[in-house]
Amino acid sequence: MTHWQSGMSFVAATQFACKEGACMTHQKKRQVLYKERRASFCALHCLKQPSLPTLFCTMAPYTLTYFPVKGRCGALKMMLADNGQQLKENVVSIEEWMKGDLKGSCLFGQLPKFEDGDLVLYQSNAMLRHLGRKHGAYGKKDCEASLIDMMNDSVEDLRLKYIKLIYQEYETGKEAYCKDLPNHLKPFESILSKSKSGFLVGDQISFADYNLFDLLLNHKVLCSASLDSFPALKSYVDKIAARPKIKALLECENFKKLPINGNGKQ
Amino acid sequence: MILADNEQKLKENLVSREEWMKGDKKGSCLFGQLPIFEDGDLVLYQSNAILRHVGRKHGAYGKNDCEASLIDMMNDSVEDLRLKYIKLIYQEYETGKEAYCKDLPNHLKPFESILSKSKSGFLVGDQISFADYNLFDLLLNNKVLCSASLDSFPTLKSYVDKIAARPKIKALLECENFKKLPINGNGKQ
Repeated sequence: MTHWQSGMSFVAATQFACKEGACMTHQKKRQVLYKERRASFCALHCLKQPSLPTLFCTMAPYTLTYFPVKGRCGALKMMLADNGQQLKENVVSIEEWMKGDLKGSCLFGQLPKFEDGDLVLYQSNAMLRHLGRKHGAYGKKDCEASLIDMMNDSVEDLRLKYIKLIYQEYETGKEAYCKDLPNHLKPFESILSKSKSGFLVGDQISFADYNLFDLLLNHKVLCSASLDSFPALKSYVDKIAARPKIKALLECENFKKLPINGNGKQ
Repeated sequence: MILADNEQKLKENLVSREEWMKGDKKGSCLFGQLPIFEDGDLVLYQSNAILRHVGRKHGAYGKNDCEASLIDMMNDSVEDLRLKYIKLIYQEYETGKEAYCKDLPNHLKPFESILSKSKSGFLVGDQISFADYNLFDLLLNNKVLCSASLDSFPTLKSYVDKIAARPKIKALLECENFKKLPINGNGKQ
């Protein structure tokens, strides 16, 4: 069950887990708080009081295994950065991937792969939902969650078109794509222009916003004038880009140097 | 199927191709597409958002957040295969069917592997999730398209049989209104 109201997420532990650097001493009491998206520290009850429920918060680093591209992981990185979360990155070269061992070990033969403690996830949107759940970026209640799902799926629809152009039809299809793009941006312009908060759903940022933001940045590169006739989208991009931790990520060398796509086209 | 299995009624507004081509209905849809799903005041588009919504409401989204994330992953992989299926049906049926059926085992293998390791026989955890209904539905489609597709996948075969035997699913599959629906909009299958 998700805990929408309290915003808390905890995993009951069968054994006490204490990782150096993640907790001070196991005699100190702290609280797991996922209400404040940017603050999290761990509650660990003293081992000497075994009758108390033992909680541990997954403080092992998030780990991402992926190619040296932004690709399908831009939104994920932005959401993590915005929530002050560290990310350990295993970068996989094409040569290494072509050997086949890593591919063979991936559940569906694909990257990215995301690890949160013992949880291993594939599928970039499942990762976005997982982090959205953990960091309060999945709405405040179930109907907001459903609307966010809808928005993200529509972002994904456009991302699939983008990916198809980039990898299959770049030279022949780019002009037609940019000409047709406004038809796909219009719904988001309409939704955002009606939004009081300036976000897709409710009054706070969700994983769907990071995803749309990332995709819009890609389109600004591909079709430079794409946002010109969409003032709400333009200011949406500016607003999210101005969030201090997003701004820092976008200006960070490691992030800037990543090609958007694996074939160098953009 | 998920609604039937949870004994939920569903009011269906059928939209003919002629009506859709008029454009008014399309213009009123948030992203210009069907299906639309309404639950009281909540209006949802995007079939997977609808599955997640119904899954949330009817206990088919795992027992905890970790299971929910794994179910998301499974559903997204089902969706990947569904997109390939849809592309074949609507864009390449005549020319691409043989190659699709030949390649299909490569896409079924991961699900065979996951299910063969599953104690409950479901994709995640010990109860059915929206991802199971989705995979089941897609496997039925692929059985029609490539009739021998499950022959080398004993776990998938028994998975399909098991879900099809659930009383309310069985009743839906045998119901005239459901049986008479073509699988796809262009009549190909």
